[in-house]
Order: sequence, then structure tokens, then C-alpha cells
Amino acid sequence: MTNLELSRAAHESALIAGNGRLDFPVETDPKPIGALLRPALRPALCVVEALAFPLALFGLWTLSSRLGWLPVQILPTPEQVAATLADLAGSGDLWFHTSISLLRVVQGFALGGTAGLLLGIAMGLSPRVRRTVEPLFTALAQVPPLGWIPVLMLLVGIDEGLKLLIIAKAALVPVALNTQKGIRNVPDSLREVGAVLAFGRWATLTRIVLPAAVPSVFTGVRYGLTSAWLALVAVELLASSEGLGYLMVWGRQLFQLDMVIAAMLVVGLVGFALDWTLSRVERRLQRWELAGS
Amino acid sequence: MSTPDLAIAPSSRRLPARLFHPRRLQGLAPVLALLAGWEIASRSGLLDPKLLPSLLTVAGRAGRELAEGRLAVDVAASLARDIAGFGIGSLAGIVVGLALGLSRAAGRLIGPSFNAVKQIAIFAWIPLISVWFGVGEEAKIAFIALAAFTPVAVNTWEGACAAPCKLMEVARVLEFGRWRSLRLVILPAALPAIFAGLHLGLINAWLATVGAEYFMTVGPGIGGLMTEGREHFHMDLVLLGVLLLGLIGLALNTLAARLEARALRWRHR
Amino acid sequence: MADTIHPIHHPAHQAAARGALEIRGLTKRYRVSGTPFTALQDIGLSVAPGEFVSIVGASGCGKSTLLRLIVGLERQFDGEILLDGRPVAGPGLDRAIVFQEHRLFPWLTAEENVALGLLKSHHPAADKRRLVREHLELVGLGAFAKAYPSQLSGGMSQRVAIARALVARPRILLLDEPFGALDALTRSHLQAELLRIVRAEGITAILVTHDVEEALYLGDRVVVMHPRPGRIAGIIPAGRLPLAEDGGAPGPGFGHDRADPAFIRLREAVLAELGAGHAQPPARRAA
Ligand SMILES: Nc1ncnc2c1ncn2[C@@H]1O[C@H](COP(=O)(O)OP(=O)(O)OP(=O)(O)O)[C@@H](O)[C@H]1O
Ligand SMILES: [Mg+2]
Repeated sequence: MTNLELSRAAHESALIAGNGRLDFPVETDPKPIGALLRPALRPALCVVEALAFPLALFGLWTLSSRLGWLPVQILPTPEQVAATLADLAGSGDLWFHTSISLLRVVQGFALGGTAGLLLGIAMGLSPRVRRTVEPLFTALAQVPPLGWIPVLMLLVGIDEGLKLLIIAKAALVPVALNTQKGIRNVPDSLREVGAVLAFGRWATLTRIVLPAAVPSVFTGVRYGLTSAWLALVAVELLASSEGLGYLMVWGRQLFQLDMVIAAMLVVGLVGFALDWTLSRVERRLQRWELAGS
Repeated sequence: MSTPDLAIAPSSRRLPARLFHPRRLQGLAPVLALLAGWEIASRSGLLDPKLLPSLLTVAGRAGRELAEGRLAVDVAASLARDIAGFGIGSLAGIVVGLALGLSRAAGRLIGPSFNAVKQIAIFAWIPLISVWFGVGEEAKIAFIALAAFTPVAVNTWEGACAAPCKLMEVARVLEFGRWRSLRLVILPAALPAIFAGLHLGLINAWLATVGAEYFMTVGPGIGGLMTEGREHFHMDLVLLGVLLLGLIGLALNTLAARLEARALRWRHR
Repeated sequence: MADTIHPIHHPAHQAAARGALEIRGLTKRYRVSGTPFTALQDIGLSVAPGEFVSIVGASGCGKSTLLRLIVGLERQFDGEILLDGRPVAGPGLDRAIVFQEHRLFPWLTAEENVALGLLKSHHPAADKRRLVREHLELVGLGAFAKAYPSQLSGGMSQRVAIARALVARPRILLLDEPFGALDALTRSHLQAELLRIVRAEGITAILVTHDVEEALYLGDRVVVMHPRPGRIAGIIPAGRLPLAEDGGAPGPGFGHDRADPAFIRLREAVLAELGAGHAQPPARRAA
């Protein structure tokens, strides 16, 4: 796989290369007060810039609803969406559905992520396990998570079991693949250092292989969580009587697009929050990579 | 973030040589064991053959559907949708990604919104799309295009931003103009990321094709075939669908990996 | 950079073993896209305990390969490599190497990287901490103990790698162009420190360098290698050269006097030997 090789090369060079940084902080001339202020203002400026586009869109949306460009069945007004959101939040429905979706995704992800991690470690460490398991794994992984839904519906019904299995499968594949890749791509140059320093198997594993695999594992974990969230929405749209996906189906059936959009907003927000949390953890674990930049 | 490895496509070595390598046989064992276990469980009545029809039943079903000509129609419809959606979505993705990556202003103004919107799980768009576009062919293609668009745009954007500083410095020293640095430095440097995005987009598009056919069950398609199988409790039909999804997914994946390897051959020189 | 560093008390000091190296008929072949390629041919070299041997030779003549063989990273070869009479069979803590690239662990700080050198030695934890600190100070990086490799310059990283190799007091220290990325001042400081430690501890040292002056300044002998196939073309003894002096007395950290006429003659001899393997003499770093 070529993109695997590319990221491997990039990873390796990132691991190995010294990057020509200066030994000592460079003395800088005293700056005029404006230049000193600018870095302080920069985050604020970024926020303003980032908000400009959504605000413009929002303005357009409001304008269109005011002037009646589109019928409300096609595009509800911002007020409607806001009101629906407030209603849902006030009645506790919003929290109810969100918490159910969250619980499902957390359980499914814990299951699939753990399994994927173990499988990936086993396949990464042992060529024999890899040779044995890979073809079956590849064959099963080729079918998109959604493809399993009808099969599982017939096998386990449409209860929580179905949701858990689908979400777990969605998380498992990227976690396993990236864990495996991370472990197998540990640079030989570092393994050799371990050999020269007389590391045994345990030290090699804990001091070299696992830390070197962390970035790739985390890529897999983040991707796995995104997939899990995606699969959750899909499976809730198809077969559920609670959860955010169900909320959307319901809104769609009632032709209440305001509810659909409200639920979409929540889906986006939760997805963003999940990914953001993981990216924080990732930063934590990879201080060393970010330290220089 | 590095590109996640989702591509499950096998390496591009020749298939027969790989299949018959003695070490490969080791990997075939679990596959065969699974199939044998399945067959035995189904035949012996250990599991309800209705829940787990024997392989022969599935093959028989495939034969019948094929003879009736329905299978070909379904597969062709799914593939056509997938390709149309992927084409539109990836083209738009490359354009948007390049714009975001090359224009600082665009990147700063639109980038954050784009990052926020991409967090909405694509399936959440389905109810909205079905209202906007109906449940016909346009809706499905729009949805597939959306699914392909996101990874392509994200990766192109990252790739275009990531023109390595060192190379850009070379370009500046050699006094390349804007156009030349774009053609000789930025695009080649972004190409691997663009391809990675296209590859992801292809996987996503296939996922979305299945999803679109589940949710908008009008017209032929593999998803429709599976839904029908489920509703009538024809497990053989459902399993046939799974098999088709896997095989086509594999084929698309392999094709993408080959094209990518070919287009990026210079990297290995 | 710290100017005077007190001698480090090392628990392994008393146990300092001999460190005699004997290489006989060493030949190493690689397969490069199917065809065999002789990287080293019939190398013979004996190094006495505590001796300092420099190796110079054109790029690609197998210097790194030779070090990898001695340290035990390459197991396939013909001939014999004996360490204190026993054949080398894999890496061991009695030998340490500073690789051509620093090879620090990017997820560990400078001090954690140095501490890795002691992971497999049995000193009390307090001793280990002290040794790590002292060795970081030795290479002038006491203030950077908590820095990650990505925050260090190339030369600084290389110094951490030197500390990592030295910290476990190997019997044989192998250095693959360790000073290439350093400025002249830091380089001569580290050369002096290296000599001081190596002499004080009786460590056998083999140093690969492209810098002929450095080879002669540090080495008791200079091995000149020729490429294709990699082989020893000549060994030039430099042990008799007068030491450089510091205010009259030759100090423990002083190599051979670069200004001495004998030094200059030997330098010409090494250069001539190097040039004999080549149509053009290899480029030499300005000293
Ligand atoms: N793993 C390997 N496989 C095949 N050939 C190799 C391998 N390692 C080294 N060689 C070959 O052996 C020869 C010697 O390499 P080596 O790295 O020892 O050179 P060197 O003298 O250290 O060069 P430099 O001064 O540039 O570091 C080279 O021609 C190289 O191509
Ligand atoms: Mg070398």
C-alpha cells in the first residue's frame, strides 16, 4: 500500500530527523507596541475570521426566511429551529435522546476499540497471527458496516445488540489496521538502538514499539470514534425508537424540518466534542512531537 | 493528523503468486474453517437454515437472480450511482480543498466552518437531503457526492498546505512565480494527500451508496436487494448482498490502490 | 557550556575490563537487488585495550558497516571478531555505539534518553540519576535535561547520543562521525572530554571520521580504508606524536599537537593514502 509507505516515511523521518533548531533562543530587538499587541490579538482575530462565514450564511438564511425565498417546508426559519431546540431542551427530550445515543456509542466504541486494539497489537507483533488472521479480517472488513445491518437484524433483531455490534464493527476496523501499521512501522534504526542497549523483549516492547506506535494508534482511535458515531446515526435512522437518529426520522415523518435540523446540529456538536476530546488526549500523549513546533 | 489506514486493499503483487504462497495458505485456513463451520452448522440443522442458509442455497440464489437478470440490474445501478456521486463529490472536493489550501483568506474564513460541518455524521444529512431532493436518483447521488466530498476536500486542503517549507524555499530561491511554484512544488507535494483523500472518498462513497439505498428505497440497487431480503426473511438474498458489497468494495479498493501506486511511482524512485 | 567538569565517579569504574578487539579475515557481503555486493573484504585489525583508533575513508567504503559488525548488529559475516578473546555474537552492554544519526527516542526527554543507556545495568536508582545528570553536564546540556529531541539542534542531539553511549561505561566505544554536526568550539571541547574519559576509564575507542586532522589528533593509530570493496589500505601510527600542551604540561584531555611538523607530515601521509584509492582525493572538511 503506497499511502501506508508514505506515512511511514514521513513518520520515520519525523522520528529520526534532528530539525536544525537553534541551540539558544535568539535575542530579538525590542518591538514597537503595535507589534507586541498583535500576537495577543491574533486568537481574537482568528475567532472573528472563523465566525465571519457562518455569520454570513446565517444572515442569508435569515434573509431568505424573511423574504420568503424558500417555503418553510424546505427550509425552516432560524427562529423555528431555535424554538424547537429550546422546546426539546426544556422538555428534557433532547437530553434523553442525546444521552441514549452517547451511551450507545461509548459502549460500542469501547467494545470495538478494545477488540481492535488487541487484534492490531497481535497482528503487529506476530507475523504468524497476521498471516493467519489477515485474509479473514480483510474479507470481513471489506463490507461496509452498514452492509451488516440487514444480516444482523435477522440474526439478533433490532434491539440494542444490533446497535452495539454495528458500532463496534465500525470502530474495530480502523483501530486494528492503524495499530497494526504503527507497530510494524517502528523504525529499524530505533530497534537497533534497543539492541545495542541490550533491551530484552519487554523493554523493547514498552520502551520502543508501543511509544513509537502511539501516533498511528491514535489516528486509528480517532478515526474509529468518528466511524462509530457515523454508524450510530445510520443504525438509529434505520432501526430505533430513541436517540438522535430517531429524532431526525421522527421530524422527517412529521415534515418538521426544524426538528431535523435541530437534531443535526446536536449530532454535529457531539461528533465535534468527541473528536475534540480525543485530540486533547492525543496532544497530551504526544507532547514530544508537538514540543518542537 | 496522518492519513488513517482504512484501505484494506491488498498489496499490488500478482494475485495467483500471493494466493499460492505457502504462507498464504496459513491465512486461508481460518477462512475455510469459517465456511466449513457455516456449512456444517446449516446442514446439520444446528442453526436454523432459515437464519443461516447453506452456501449452496446462497449460490443457488445467486444463480437464479443472475438468470433472471435482476442481479446485473441491481449491481449496475449501485455502481452507476457510486461512480456518479464519487465523480461529482471528489471533483468538488479537490476544487474546494485547493482553494482552502492555496488562498490564505479562504482557509481562514471558510476553513473553521468547514471543519465544524464535516463533524456532522454524513447519515445525518439523509433526512434533509430526502426533503430537498426527494428520494429518487438525484437525492442518492447528492448524498454519495457529499460523502465523497468531505475526505477529498480535507486531504487536498492538508496536502496543499503541507508543501514542505524546505521545497518552497527552494522555489523562492529559484524565483519561481506563483504559477510555477503551484505546478512544480505545491501540486506534486499535495498529490499523495490528494490521492489518499480520493481513496478515502471512494470508500466513503461506497458506504454512502449502501446507505442511500437503504434509506431511499426507490429503484434498483444492492441495498434495495438486501432490504427486500430482510423484509421477506430471505437470508440467502441478504448474504448474497453482503458478498456483493464486499467484492465490489474490494475491487474498488484495489483499483484505487493500483491507480494511486501508478500515479505516485516517482515516490519510490 | 561548562568549562571544568569534575571527574565522574562511576560505579563500574573498578570493574573496568580490558576491551581488546581482534578482527581477522572479516568479509561482509550484502545482496543489493539480487546481486551480491562486497561491503568489506578481508579486514584484519587488532586493537589493544585502551587504544584509540581512528578510521578514515571515502563515503561508502564500509566504515559504518564495520562498526555495526563490531557492535553486533550484523550477524552474517565471514571471518572472526573477537572481544577479549570471545567471538562477538550480538550486541552487549560492553560495547556502545554513537550512530551516524543521533537516533534519540523522540518521545523521551534528553535525560530520559541518556537514562536508557543504564536501563539494563544494575546500579542503584540514585546512582543512575546522578550519572545521567553528570553525563548530560559533561556534554554541556545540563540545562536541556527536560527538552525533547525535537527541541534540540542536530549537534545537541548528537551530544545527547554521546552521553547515552558513555553513561554505561562500555569497554569499547564506537563512534560514527559523532562530531560532524558540531561547531569548531564545541567540537574541540567534546574531543577533549572524550579523550579524557576514554583515557581515565581505559575504554577502547574506535572513531570514524571524515576529518583527517581529527583522526590524527585523537587516534593512536589511523586506519585508512579504500572503497569497492571496502578494505584497509593502510594503518598509520600516530601514538608517538607529541601531545598538545596547555600552558606547558600536556593535560589528560589533550590530543596530538596539530602544529607539530610530525603531525603535518602524517597528515600528508594519510591524505596520500586516501587519495591512492581514488582518482580524486575525497573532499575534506576545513579544520
Ligand atoms: N543494509 C544494506 N544493504 C545493502 N547494502 C548496504 C547495506 N548497508 C550498507 N550497504 C552498502 O555497503 C557499503 C558501505 O556502507 P557504509 O554505510 O558502511 O559506508 P560508510 O563508509 O559508512 O559511508 P559514509 O561515510 O557515507 O557514512 C555501501 O556501498 C552501502 O551501499
Ligand atoms: Mg557511515
